[in-house]
Amino acid sequence: MKISYNWLKEYVCICLSPQELADRLTNVGLVVTDIQPVDDDFCLDIEVTSNRPDCLGIIGIAREVAAAVDGSFYFPETNFVSAHADISQFINVSVEEPILCPRYTARVVRHITVAPSPEWMQKRLKCIGLRPVNNIVDVTNYVMMETGQPLHAFDLDRLAGQKIIVRKARIGEEIVAINGARRALFHDMLVIADGKKPVAIAGVMGGAETEVSNLTRNILLECAQFEQRQVRRTSRALGISSDSSYRFERGIDPEGIDRASQRAVWLIKDCAGGETADGTVTLGPERHETKKITLRMERLHKVLGVEIKRDVAIDILKKLQFNILNAVDNFIDLEVPSFRGDISREIDLIEEVARIYGYNNIPTKTSINVRGSIKNKFEIVEDTVRQFLTGLGFYEVKTFSIVDTSPLQSLNLWSDKGGIDIANPLRLEESRLRTSLLPSLINTKRYNMHHGTEQIKIFEIAKVYLAGNKLPHEKNCLSILADTDFLTLKGIFESFLVNLGILSKCEWITFSEPRLFKDERAARIHLDGMAVGYFGEASQKLGFKTLSCLLEVDLDVLLEKSNFIKKYQNLLQYPAVFRDLAVIVNEETPWSSIEKCIMDAKVALVTEINFFDVYRGKQIPAGKKSIALNLCFQATDRTLKNEEVDSAQQIILDTLHKTLGAELRKA
Amino acid sequence: MLFNKYICMSDKLEEVKRNLQNETKTITTLKDAEQLKIKYLGRKGVVNDLMKLIPALPTEKRAAFGQQVNSLKIEITDIIEEFIKKLSSEAIPKVKNEIFDITLPGKRPLIGKKHPLTQTIDDIKEVFARLGFDVAYGPEVELEYYNFEALNIPSDHPSRTDFDTFYIRDDVLLRSQTSTVQIRIMEKRKPPIRIIAPGRVYRPDTVDARHSFMFHQVEGLIVDEGVSFADLKGVLNQFIKTYFGQNIQMRLRPSFFPFTEPSAEVDISCSICGGKGCSVCSHSGWVEILGAGMVDPNVFRAVHYDEEKYTGFAFGMGVERITMLKYGICDIRFFYENDIRFLSQF
Repeated sequence: MKISYNWLKEYVCICLSPQELADRLTNVGLVVTDIQPVDDDFCLDIEVTSNRPDCLGIIGIAREVAAAVDGSFYFPETNFVSAHADISQFINVSVEEPILCPRYTARVVRHITVAPSPEWMQKRLKCIGLRPVNNIVDVTNYVMMETGQPLHAFDLDRLAGQKIIVRKARIGEEIVAINGARRALFHDMLVIADGKKPVAIAGVMGGAETEVSNLTRNILLECAQFEQRQVRRTSRALGISSDSSYRFERGIDPEGIDRASQRAVWLIKDCAGGETADGTVTLGPERHETKKITLRMERLHKVLGVEIKRDVAIDILKKLQFNILNAVDNFIDLEVPSFRGDISREIDLIEEVARIYGYNNIPTKTSINVRGSIKNKFEIVEDTVRQFLTGLGFYEVKTFSIVDTSPLQSLNLWSDKGGIDIANPLRLEESRLRTSLLPSLINTKRYNMHHGTEQIKIFEIAKVYLAGNKLPHEKNCLSILADTDFLTLKGIFESFLVNLGILSKCEWITFSEPRLFKDERAARIHLDGMAVGYFGEASQKLGFKTLSCLLEVDLDVLLEKSNFIKKYQNLLQYPAVFRDLAVIVNEETPWSSIEKCIMDAKVALVTEINFFDVYRGKQIPAGKKSIALNLCFQATDRTLKNEEVDSAQQIILDTLHKTLGAELRKA
Repeated sequence: MLFNKYICMSDKLEEVKRNLQNETKTITTLKDAEQLKIKYLGRKGVVNDLMKLIPALPTEKRAAFGQQVNSLKIEITDIIEEFIKKLSSEAIPKVKNEIFDITLPGKRPLIGKKHPLTQTIDDIKEVFARLGFDVAYGPEVELEYYNFEALNIPSDHPSRTDFDTFYIRDDVLLRSQTSTVQIRIMEKRKPPIRIIAPGRVYRPDTVDARHSFMFHQVEGLIVDEGVSFADLKGVLNQFIKTYFGQNIQMRLRPSFFPFTEPSAEVDISCSICGGKGCSVCSHSGWVEILGAGMVDPNVFRAVHYDEEKYTGFAFGMGVERITMLKYGICDIRFFYENDIRFLSQF
């Protein structure tokens, strides 16, 4: 909210420069974000939090200033003389919805002269960014900015049937608002109607037809309270918000209504002449129920961690215009002023005391006990993964969880169901929760390609969102895009698993996903029979200039399978024996079958099976290939004799021959 | 018979390799190296002797042994040639007055980096871990209840306008704050509680240099008997001094969050200008870095904690904001473009 420095000084006696004032206000929670000089005045832009509608008027700010700097605070002039003509001769007001309009007041001023408002008023309105219109409209705006209470002036002679009815809108009714917007009204909206039709949207905006014009001679001044939620809903539904709706939504001072009305009439008479009809039409309770709260000093100390003396607390609360009823022992009983709708509990009072006492005067100390914290397993896994990959030259990236609905982004490796759409997206580019991280990594690769980085190795740890029951299933994934060949990234992944303490062997099952992978160069990875990831060479269709590989794995499963418990194993005392073999097998026989076959032979002495070469060509029959491998034989209790190794090797060769038709390659 | 002597040919090969390695230790001159070459690789050398053994082997072993000898030959050749190369390059400069240039650039391996936001989160976690905070997580797609009602933000409340939110369905949304984790944790555990919760949050903001529809927050929560506002100040001061530096000052301003009372915005003295005023701190000398406050009794009521017995405080900070401040990054979009030229700077 914008306020004028000179205007504020009318209500509170201060000798502070605008900057000093701004600092004080900031310290009590009214943050001044900007100070602009305007002629001989200053405009201060104040951030008022949504719980403090009482500070949406300069008087409210003045009250805070008075409490903060110990200044005196004055109310503005409201005395005026009424004419004899009784108001009931001119208007008949009824409220059909007393819950939505708890209080409605109307005053009538006749024989006014509509003209520009006086210079001093125009200057102040301009200072806070309001455009002067005429003396009547300007007075209503002026009083709203002063008191925080919105007012509206109707052209009395344009109200059909001399009637004001506060009621729900009827089906088919519409209104053209003062700002020119034509809106159809719905039956749950509250309107101010005359004898025929709506003339204002209650609390939101007046109608153009009954607005004050240069021809207006007599006015009806409305000053009311409308229910907060009702105003908020209507304002949102119609897409019309105003200084008035902003204030009603947050709640106005129920006891400030009449004072604001009187203040406006006093100013109208001052600026536009005319005579006030005798009396006020008032509907709704005169006084609202005051809230009584007890503040326990003990609780105050407990929450704030500082001993504030009872008298100090009382002094602060008094300055904030709380009515102290009783103060005995360690209790303060008090009444909350009507303009502080935000205060209803003891904790609210504690905040008030702390605010004015000064947050920065509360000691900075910790008496919290010592406590050891340990990393949870997810943190350990995340740290391990990041350390491992960055150590190998990979960059970690972070991409958006909300993506577009393109075919690439619609890729779902983990579920048959579709992605989850945002009901209220800002743009189509960000309208769905992603089901894979790979499309974003592909886009990151492209982005870097276009910005001069050809070679890239990147990874991301983030969630994918899979359709679930009430809430989606959020799966933590690790995805990698690396400009390497297939076996290089596969090897990195294998070491990666070892690094997580996962020692079971993965199965690599042929997989096809043409949007991502090259044909016959992709696999679904199974670990202990469970699909944990997808791997392959990037399809040429992705338009990369490099040979790249893609990997996406389920980090939740890897977390479950990871094992960081380490146990020392005796170093073997006896030497290992290495044997190199070359076997000729059918072209279709994969390495995994050879390896499995050797393991199935259950030769206890074999401790490692290592592939080292594949050869096709001279000396090898067509349709066959020669696989060279290295076997490690070792015993825990003795040095192996050659005969033992020979016979172990023979068993393996026999099994390979029997199962896969493998032949030992001869020189 | 030879065959018996070398019943395990692999062992023999190992022995040859070991012998070679021992002998290389004695090489000091080019001449030594060349003699060793003749000894092992010459016509009457060790390797050729091994080759001669092949015909004596059983047929099925010949191929494998042959291959082994061949690879041994390659290995030996590599080792000896390396010495020859080294020694001859040492020998030549003396003749030509060449000098080894120790200022030539080293051969650098590529290094990777954690994302700067991860680095910030890790740093924050580290500071709070030392203060006894565990790390907790919660879902990003949340029930409206956890994002609003349980945090004392009833529907139709004016403060809801402060929290624009992406919705999936009527009562399911993308969390707009990590405060949701507070409720999730308190529902599951009894006090004492001391956690921080880092994670992604979402708000329908149009993207510009300062706004993003997705960003990261770290939330913190302590609940115990006897936790006060003074403790809040103490803990946050510890964090600020450790993370930003010992000479950084902290300032608290009253503010409003529905789930805390009293609530505060926490500023630190501007590290760019040292508090004198610059464009980073909008010439105020202070930069806002986090929101905090004492847990509102209504929040305790929502999780069935005894609001008289327990007190607590909560705080939340924007990871992007802190990272931008720390490194002087002017545009939030850099974090999600992932340009390697950007990522490699941190």
